[in-house]
Amino acid sequence: MVRIFFFILAAVLTGCTMASPELMSDVRDPYESTNRKIFKANLMVDDYVLEPAAKGYRALPEGAQAGITNFAKWSTYPSTAVNSTLQGKFENAAVASIHFLVNGLTLGLADLTEDDVKVETEDFGQTMAVWNIPQGSYMMLPLLGPGTIRSHTGNLVDNFTNPLGFIGGQTVNGIRLAATPSNIIATRGNNYEHINNIKYNAIDLYAKTRSLYFQYRNGQIAALNSALPSDSDKAFSDFSIDEY
Amino acid sequence: MSYMKKIFTHIAIVASIIFAFSAHSALADRAALAYEERLNTATLVVENLINRVQIFLATNPTPIQVRNETNALIELYFDYNIISRFAAGQAWRGASAQEKTAYRTAFREVLLSLAETQFEVFRNLEYTSIDSVAKGEKLVVVHGRIHDISGKIPDSIISWRLTTNPNRPIRIIDIEVENISMLITQQQENAAVIRQNGGDFTALITSLQTKAHAIKAKNTP
Repeated sequence: MVRIFFFILAAVLTGCTMASPELMSDVRDPYESTNRKIFKANLMVDDYVLEPAAKGYRALPEGAQAGITNFAKWSTYPSTAVNSTLQGKFENAAVASIHFLVNGLTLGLADLTEDDVKVETEDFGQTMAVWNIPQGSYMMLPLLGPGTIRSHTGNLVDNFTNPLGFIGGQTVNGIRLAATPSNIIATRGNNYEHINNIKYNAIDLYAKTRSLYFQYRNGQIAALNSALPSDSDKAFSDFSIDEY
Repeated sequence: MSYMKKIFTHIAIVASIIFAFSAHSALADRAALAYEERLNTATLVVENLINRVQIFLATNPTPIQVRNETNALIELYFDYNIISRFAAGQAWRGASAQEKTAYRTAFREVLLSLAETQFEVFRNLEYTSIDSVAKGEKLVVVHGRIHDISGKIPDSIISWRLTTNPNRPIRIIDIEVENISMLITQQQENAAVIRQNGGDFTALITSLQTKAHAIKAKNTP
């Protein structure tokens, strides 16, 4: 996985060309022309692989769908526990660890915890944001999708530092291999209509995806620091309502 | 005589202090009341909209009825002038009056066409108001929770941004679900279309018209 990531990153970086400022539609996206090409390729993967797979997922009995979703969530708990600790969110770290251990009895397929306290997923990209590391440019990576240099680096670090990686063994390796695809298919399947609505009704799908990514991600990061204004608060504070 | 004058002066000073305090407190009370009223009215606008949508859905409307109702909802509950102006972004200032009108028509057409396909989504949703917060003097954000009774979508926080300008009706200008603003998304998408076409505002109008036709064609059996 790590090798694949490095290969993808190297391939993308060598092919990256800065867009001319007049064609750059967002200052956070200096490699827009390259990113758009990669996005086009990713969209083909969605057309031919993910959308049909998500359709198949939705055709499964509800119990099976819940099992895949639970497994996908469960496999992120070790990373969440590590990152919550790094962010000083010890309660979330404890809840993630407990959920991981308890649900581990079914390899994460069933949610055995009758706990109202939900685990908030945390990753190393968010941890770096808490440490005030700048997010860097927006980058669309083949297969891995949208992100910033910080968030993609965070994914890589999460992969290295996933506690499951230190355990080893055939079962654990199997879990790690299955985690990413099941997460992608469960997410695509559980949000099938919403994603298709965006995909088929956008006037510029690339720009819409970028906007959604930044708002969602900034929202996650703002939740870690309540002093930060939300994207929309910032946008509306610059807008003069009085003009109308 | 000078003793009496002193007493009157003291009384006058005390009286003016009391008056100033009471006037200040009355003004503060009125401001607090106006503030509360802004928040309550904004919440009520959102709740009225939700109620109207629920009642309308119960009539099992046809697509054309959905379209007409959406049009009416935009007029009654939303400030379409601000919405369309905001969504156009910086390009608005440079656009001619004719382009502005064409853009507004095309944008509204996209919204109406989308509503025809999306309206059913609201059937399974329950809405509960949580609170409302003033954002400066002219905006209020009403927070609520949406719950999908089919259980397919997890509960989400929804935020409604309303203009509360004095002497103007309180209207919704944006809807935000889980930190994602519909209006900002639209604005950034529109800005990208304009930029990708070398700053040409008419390119956005054409894109919107094409999209509206495409959605309509897809909806037509």
